[in-house]
Amino acid sequence: MEIVVCVKPVPDAETRLRASADGTTLDIEAVKFVLAGYDESAVEQALLLKEATPGSKVHVVSAGPPPRTEEVLRASLALGCDTATWAEMPAGIAPDPVAAARALARAIATVPHDLVLCGKNAGDDEAGVVAGSLAELLTVPDFSDVADLRWEAATSHLKFQRSTEAGTESWEAPLPCVIALQQAWNDPRTAKLPMILKSRKLPIAKVAPEAAAAPAGTSRPTKFELPPPRTGAKLIEFKTPEEAAQKLVQALKEEAKVFP
Amino acid sequence: MPDFSLTPEQESLRDLARKFARTEMAPHAAECDRTPRFPEEIYRKAYELGLMNLNVPPEYGGSGLGLFDQCLIVEELAYACGGMTTSIIANCLALEPILLDGSPEQKERFLQPFCGEYHLASFALTEPSGGSDPGAMHTLARREGDHYVLSGEKCFISNAPQASLYTVFATVDPSLRHKGVTAFVVPRSAEGVTVGRDEEKMGHRASSTASIRFDDVRVPVADRLGAEGTGFSLAMRTLDQTRTPIGALATGIAQAGLDHAAAYSLKRETFGKPIAEHQAIQIKLATMVQSVHAARLLTWRAAWTIDRGQKGTLESSIAKCFASDAAFAVADQAIQIFGGYGYMREYPVEKLLRDAKLTQIYEGANEIQRTVIARELLKGYT
Repeated sequence: MEIVVCVKPVPDAETRLRASADGTTLDIEAVKFVLAGYDESAVEQALLLKEATPGSKVHVVSAGPPPRTEEVLRASLALGCDTATWAEMPAGIAPDPVAAARALARAIATVPHDLVLCGKNAGDDEAGVVAGSLAELLTVPDFSDVADLRWEAATSHLKFQRSTEAGTESWEAPLPCVIALQQAWNDPRTAKLPMILKSRKLPIAKVAPEAAAAPAGTSRPTKFELPPPRTGAKLIEFKTPEEAAQKLVQALKEEAKVFP
Repeated sequence: MPDFSLTPEQESLRDLARKFARTEMAPHAAECDRTPRFPEEIYRKAYELGLMNLNVPPEYGGSGLGLFDQCLIVEELAYACGGMTTSIIANCLALEPILLDGSPEQKERFLQPFCGEYHLASFALTEPSGGSDPGAMHTLARREGDHYVLSGEKCFISNAPQASLYTVFATVDPSLRHKGVTAFVVPRSAEGVTVGRDEEKMGHRASSTASIRFDDVRVPVADRLGAEGTGFSLAMRTLDQTRTPIGALATGIAQAGLDHAAAYSLKRETFGKPIAEHQAIQIKLATMVQSVHAARLLTWRAAWTIDRGQKGTLESSIAKCFASDAAFAVADQAIQIFGGYGYMREYPVEKLLRDAKLTQIYEGANEIQRTVIARELLKGYT
């Protein structure tokens, strides 16, 4: 099975974030970019499928500007992906999701692909648009919020689950298709040191940006604000547990107004 | 042009070590310190990720990193736990003599099977009568045909209880002093090798430390490293290579102390405001961060010098000595900033002081480092 996994560099959760000078987006200067959490589990899923299905290969693709896109591709190679393809985009700007899907589709066209895996959305914009757009561009079906993905060789079908608020659905589907994976239900592996060193020397195929005449993305951000700082907690002082409970209930009723 | 930025590869190596340190080591650091416990499962994971035999070339199953890259990793590990880091990097120290003076045949015979799976090794130089004067060692290597017969005792040997291989320094003739010292590779399983009890230590309690007795242990001549009498030079050249990572280890402890203290100073209030707003605390923090930066830069400079193929004795001694003193001072000030809480075992900073203390003593006590520094310095004036 030829498995494509799409990854995106997103700001490290430990980075201190701030708005850009024009206030429309995140300031990416001095931000450390990492493989998105959902994508990390998508890579893990791709590698698990590869290991369970002899003769399979995992092709990692990413669309985005240098240098961060190259770094997440190398991180994926270090985890065990076989090839890497980079749909190059102009420096600095994070592509809007539809533009990213277009670029990814062009990159995917250059590698063999039976199955395309994505994280269900990226850890930064949380848009969740790429997988659906990709399916449209590749004219294959797509499934979202997928967990517990397996390949059943006997029937040549994928088997997986979708957890919704209404319950858990079990599905089977033939290839080709695009699958947007749920959060980290698997335990993503850590790249070993020799693989990190090796990944620096592996080639990355590049797909040039679309010609200038091609349609730009259809959306643009207009304003970006960080969440307001949290306000202080209230400490209840007490001498006996009874007094603590009484004061707490009173505060919940009169101040927080969570009880009538 | 000097350049203090890391390459993407170095950032990836540091990220790997940081992730391992914070997710696998840090959650167990307090428990392993208190019990004390030698967390073999953590060391096994470190081995599997390639974080253990950092200095051994890939053809012998190691990671083959230069000293600078080793230091990046060691600092991150030590940020989580100095003691665990000592046990993780003990192999680098123990195997360095084989890398330096082992014949190709010895490297293949000892390193390949050793690094091919999880094993620990120990460097056995120090004796009960002293570690800073190896010329005065008592452990005797008596030649008998194609064997040497080793008798004597080594002490304070890191990982000795768990190690399967020892690099041992012994003298063929004590009257020759330095010129009698000879190095050997001795398997733990050799007849006559007895490991003492695991010592109760002040710090580095996740690491193990014991004495090793050699009672007429027969070692084939083929397991001698280099020629007879070259052991002292080998020990010194080994320490020239491994001293700098101790600077990195101390820097990691110091950075942890600074981070704990700075974060605490913003939360803890006295006289109606966070203590970080009191000048007395600001002065402490300012001094601490200077020490941490200087320790790191001196360590990087030493590693860079040695990676360029220079001996770096002066640079590595300065780095080890300065960084270990800095770690102790920063940990001390971190406790002071935490006040009474800092003295309590429940808080993380008193462990840093106990762990930092050892970095001033092992791999060449700081008194010896200063002797070396002065000697190297004065060479330029005579």
